[in-house]
Amino acid sequence: MIKYFTDIFTAVSTITGGMFITLTHLIGAKKGIATLQYPEERWPRPERGIGFEHGRYNVIRSRLHVDMDDCIGCLKCERACPVDCIKIETEKSPDRGNDLKDINHRGITSNGTKKALVVTRFDIDMTECCYCNLCTYPCPEECIFMTGGPNGKKHPIDYEFSEPDRSDLIYRFAKPGTKEGMEKIMNEKSQVEA
Amino acid sequence: MGVVHGEEMVLNIGPQHPATHGVLRLQVRTDGEVVSQITPYMGYLHRCFEKHSENVTYEQVIPFTDRCDYLSSMSMNFGYVVAMEKLMDIKVNNRVEHIRVVMAELQRIASHLLCTGVFGLDLGAFTPFLWALRDRERILDLFELTCGARLLYNYMWVGGLSHDIPTGFVESTFEFLDYFEPKVDELENILAHNKILVERSADIGVMPKDVAISYGVTGPNLRASGVKWDLRKNDPYSIYDKFDFDVPIGEGKKGTVGDCWDRFYVRIIEIRESVKIIRQALASMPKDGDVHQSLPKKLRPPKGSIYARTETPRGDLGYYIESDGSPIPYRVKMRSPAFTALSVLDEIGAGWLLSDVLAILGSLDIVLGEIDR
Repeated sequence: MIKYFTDIFTAVSTITGGMFITLTHLIGAKKGIATLQYPEERWPRPERGIGFEHGRYNVIRSRLHVDMDDCIGCLKCERACPVDCIKIETEKSPDRGNDLKDINHRGITSNGTKKALVVTRFDIDMTECCYCNLCTYPCPEECIFMTGGPNGKKHPIDYEFSEPDRSDLIYRFAKPGTKEGMEKIMNEKSQVEA
Repeated sequence: MGVVHGEEMVLNIGPQHPATHGVLRLQVRTDGEVVSQITPYMGYLHRCFEKHSENVTYEQVIPFTDRCDYLSSMSMNFGYVVAMEKLMDIKVNNRVEHIRVVMAELQRIASHLLCTGVFGLDLGAFTPFLWALRDRERILDLFELTCGARLLYNYMWVGGLSHDIPTGFVESTFEFLDYFEPKVDELENILAHNKILVERSADIGVMPKDVAISYGVTGPNLRASGVKWDLRKNDPYSIYDKFDFDVPIGEGKKGTVGDCWDRFYVRIIEIRESVKIIRQALASMPKDGDVHQSLPKKLRPPKGSIYARTETPRGDLGYYIESDGSPIPYRVKMRSPAFTALSVLDEIGAGWLLSDVLAILGSLDIVLGEIDR
């Protein structure tokens, strides 16, 4: 009998207690605490200028970008990728360290390294990418990075890169015509030698 | 008049069911509404983690460990790097250890918040779930600030970390903890002592001590059964022996020791203990020290094998790594805590009503990504 009434008492008291908590939330609700109207409003992204106590790192994980003018074709990023979503093909440059005007190839990187290879294909399949960031660390020229990272001034952070077609998410970074141009150059060279 | 036995019916719960916490199929044999046998069928989320690890290098395994238990990726990374560092005999500096502990405990809070929230959701309480997720979001923001990712971090590396913590991280974490501690009390008040939840979970799905031990259940599920076993205390790894915290055990406050309510409540107390650890770790964190200091140039462990275990939010996570001296592991085996927790479901779930089975499943806090791997 006593248990019956204590049960009723605890039920009523705990539930009113819970309702009281919800009521305080209802009254004390601040503007902007609830849903964000997504396309118009967005959550603030972590500020780009956050310093790191011991050196600077690329902390942003949005989408990969490659500065082809700086890429020397060392394949380190391809080897570091755990899901093999980076595909690189290179050709030996006929003129090491010099520009190849026909295929828009720069001979020297912005770090001053002379390029011995021409990258004819640099594809990243962003549908396969697992955003682990492992490819960005070994790069000796820091030319592959997540957009918005250390080179953020040139490339804003971009999380929203949906495409209507799946194949549009395969990014081809090698400049168009590089492969055909290289073949042409090599053919001309072999003709001259012959 | 004896008990009337009707015809038994076989029911499938899942694989597409919100209460199975992932892609799990439970084949349930029911007599009326009383469940007589539960057979879990898993493998819907099998992604060949162990086989895949034999084809990638040691550092490339870490992103895959993230994806095993996607609710506590930091802890999964932690277990792997602890095992690898034991195998390669690497000692990391104090700053790295402190950052790792802070991250692992923040992750434990995030994971337990989701578990307690979803447990309420399974039993029909919707509001606390949203509150728990709101606070979890703050933790994910802290992670995003640190390493750029919100769920799958690849943050802990063998011999260090991928990034140092940003300036202002310590302050913002303290700020979060100050904000968070009253919220835990609020969560407990609205959810844990609520009569409706107590009626649904107390005395239900009791897991006695001996059953829990014989099935190999670990973590909060084991502690709820009254066994004081926590690897952070009993077999300290990293620097957990430096910190002062308690190991909560189930006391049967609302019913029997080891019932659903105990399993749920132990997690709430563990959140508070984690807050304690984070405060101590942040206060004692050394100001200097390079997080890349002891990163090996090439990850090439000597021939041999190692088994190391760590305490994740779900229990005792073990990695068995066999190395043949090459940069690619010969075998990586994971001892998953959620797998053993699922195996006990038939033992403690049979004999209860169908709706209670879902409460028991929710209280076990399984993650299918880790069970199937």
